[in-house]
Formats: sequence, C-alpha cells, structure tokens
Amino acid sequence: MERTIEFVLNGETKKVTVNDNQTLLEVLREKLDLTGTKKGCNQGECGACTVLLDGKPINSCLTLAVRIEGRSIMTIEGVAGKESLDPVQETFNEKGAIQCGFCTPGMVLTTKALLAENSNPTSAEIKEAISGNICRCSGYIKIIEAIQSLAEEQEVM
Amino acid sequence: MHLPDIVYLSPNKTTEALEVIEDCGNSCSVIAGGTDLMVALKQRLQTPKYLIGLENIPEFKKIEEKDESIRLGPMNTLDEISSSDLIKTKLPALSQAAREVGSPLLRSQATIGGNVCLNTRCRFYNQSQFWRSTREKCYKAGGSYCHVTKQKEKCNAAFVADLVPVLIAYGANIKLAGLAGEKMLSLKEFYTGDSCFPNQILNGDRVILTEIDIPIPKNNIRSVYKKFRFRRSIDFPLVGVAVSLDLDENNRCRDINILLTGVGSAPVEIKKAKKELLGQRWDDELVSSVASLASQEIRPLKTNLVSPRYTREIASLKIKEALQEAGGKNGKNY
Repeated sequence: MERTIEFVLNGETKKVTVNDNQTLLEVLREKLDLTGTKKGCNQGECGACTVLLDGKPINSCLTLAVRIEGRSIMTIEGVAGKESLDPVQETFNEKGAIQCGFCTPGMVLTTKALLAENSNPTSAEIKEAISGNICRCSGYIKIIEAIQSLAEEQEVM
Repeated sequence: MHLPDIVYLSPNKTTEALEVIEDCGNSCSVIAGGTDLMVALKQRLQTPKYLIGLENIPEFKKIEEKDESIRLGPMNTLDEISSSDLIKTKLPALSQAAREVGSPLLRSQATIGGNVCLNTRCRFYNQSQFWRSTREKCYKAGGSYCHVTKQKEKCNAAFVADLVPVLIAYGANIKLAGLAGEKMLSLKEFYTGDSCFPNQILNGDRVILTEIDIPIPKNNIRSVYKKFRFRRSIDFPLVGVAVSLDLDENNRCRDINILLTGVGSAPVEIKKAKKELLGQRWDDELVSSVASLASQEIRPLKTNLVSPRYTREIASLKIKEALQEAGGKNGKNY
C-alpha cells in the first residue's frame, strides 16, 4: 500500500510517497537519492546504514519508512555545512580514520550521537558506542583516536 | 533482500489493536521494535499480509513504580530500559541484561516486549529463503524434520532472549490483553516449551502483551546476568545466566534462582543444583561444585555453530561467574 508520509529530514520538512514494505534505507537511497547512507548487510549487523532518528543512531535497514512519520532523521548529507565539513568529518580526515570510506557515514553519525550525549567518553565507552558499526578495513584504532581527539577538543572549548 | 508486500497498520489503542488482530486472523504479525522481525520478513520466515505496529499506544511506553513493583510497557526500548535510573537502582540485573543485547544501534529500536516475545532460533532456520530451499523443510518452517538432531521427532530451535531469564529470576508477571479481557500470569507460564511455537502469542492466542510487572526485590537479594557470545554486538547469546540470590546473616543460602537462556526450547530453570545450594554455607568450593552440577542439568544441542559439549563447558563457567558475583558482594567469604 502506498501512502505519503511527512518527516523532518536533515532539518527540512519532507513529504514523500512510500510503500508500506519499504525500509527507510530504501527510501533514502532510491526515492530521495541520498546515497551517502550505505547498504551493507541489510540485516542490522554492520551499521553501514546508520542514520540518526531523533538524535539516536539506528539501523535504517531495519526501520519501516512508514514508521518515521512525524519524526526527525539526520543522514550523512545533513552533517556538513554548505561551505565546510563538520568537525567530526574534519578530524576523521586528519587522523586517517578513513580507508575505503564505506563505514564512514555510519561512524560519523554514531560519533556525533555519542559526543552529543557524552562529551568526554572513555576509550571503553567509545568502543561500546561504535560496536554496531563494522569497519571492513578494520581501521578501528584510527577511528577511536579520532573520536578521542574530538572529545579532547570539546574539553578545551 | 526486500520485504514482502505488506499493509502496515498502527492502532492508537489496545482495543483497536486487538480488533485488528481479530479481523486479520492468522495473516498478521505484530511488530514492536522490529529488529528481529524485519530480518525474518526479509528471509521470508514469516509472510504476513498485515503488520500491526504498537508504537502509537501511549501506555506501552510507561516505566513506573507502583505497589512495590516496577511496571513496564512493552514498547520501552532496551536503551530506555538500560538507562532508566529507576531500573538501574531497583532492578540492576535487568538494566545490565538490556545493555548486553546487540549493539547500541539495535538497542535504540529493540524493545523489552519484543525480547519477551522473541522467537526461537536455529542455524538451519534463520537463513535466507534460498539457503533453506536446498534442504528438506524443517519443523519450524512447516515441515517434519529436524536438521539438528537429524530426526523426525520435534523442533529444537533455541530460546535466546536475554531479558527473560532475569525477569523470571525477579519473579516477573505479565499482562496479556485479548478481546475477552485481560489476564495476569507469571512470565514462566507464558512459554510453551515447544520450539516451533515458543510462547502463547506465537502459539496462536490472539492477545497482546500489555505490561510487564516486576516485584521490587528486597535489599538483601542480589541478582546478576552473565552472557557469552562470540561477536559482542551481533550474536544472540550462546549461553546467558541469570541468578538471584538471598543469603542470610550467617551467609547461608536462603533462596536462589538460576535461569539460563540459549540452551533449550524455553528459559531453563536449574532445579537440582538449587536443592544442593539451599541452606548451605556460601563458599568458593560450594560454588564451583554446584556450577559444574548445574551445567549437567542442561541439554544444549547444535542449534548454532559450536558443539553441545562446548556450550555446556561455557555454561558451567558462566554459572560459576554469576554465582560468585551474586554471592561475592553480599557473602562474607569473598
């Protein structure tokens, strides 16, 4: 069954016609051309499809699009400003926390959610927070270092 | 893998939801957080015509303390359960068990109600439609063969919910609502012991889980949950152990509940070892011998990728860890 849903996407209200059996991931990638959100395992294990739902990271492959009516979604496309990257993206770049880049949109969004909730996470808390985002290049050390340095920067500020 | 064609309905009231379930009959599935059901749908393990979402029923989100018990709505996410201050202080083992499920991404959607109603799992069943098409249909898929035991006896898929052993150890009751009315029953009674239809809802009763009611344990009772799985953020438990322990002032065991998940068709209560512990003085030797005895009470099967012997060994270690931790902070000998 088709229906029109309204939700906030990256800060802007969006109306889109979706089918009841479409996942949020399919709607983002195929209907809205927001291909920054990746399709990996498609069963909630890898975290490549991470988006923020009302500020919390979720697997968009396990979310029915019809269920996000009235809620707020942030994808990787909504993270950077018009002219510059987000500090999380800048730091991931600087620290070499990117290899092939497939997990990066999910990692960045999970990091943003973590730092919004806990500005000074311990190494264990960082590992726990990104445990649902699998890096197929296994570049975790650099990713954890990048998140740690972001937390330190926030401390200074 | 795409989802099959479905019609999604999201009623605003329990009665409305029950009427919809009655109208749709067997062609509907109820969806809570959906972290397990969505995969099952993609794999065509279930092909309902209608999906009934419970997210718009306000009372299903409650967390409240009333009459010496904590009352939880089924739609609280595991993240909400593990971060609730009330649950952290009054039911620490529940908070801990919720935190041990999957990854943070899953926990922000998965719900306690979904965990209580979780279907059983098996390595021959939880596979894609294509994978399964290469073998004879098993019991759980509607056939009459079990690939685990290679016998035509019964289904042996494993019960793997993390929160349930803890809830049973706490003595939780649940409320089931049907069109005929509501009934309260102990959580233990909710499970059938049949791997094909592991609980009353999956067994075809047209009811909805509307509340989980957990009596607040007295101060001297200590509860813990210990879990083993290979991939922390992905795997269901190979073994999960919940213990609630009451030691008297002389460090003797007044009461104890030991419950396991992952090793049977339903949550498994350890009974013989319990008898050995009751009235005994709590010490290291007792804990070690009882842990090994308790692991002999379970009958793990090869429903996952490890041998039953390995599972039993891990169960013994985890039971020991749980008993030590439960007795440790309370018992005087640790």
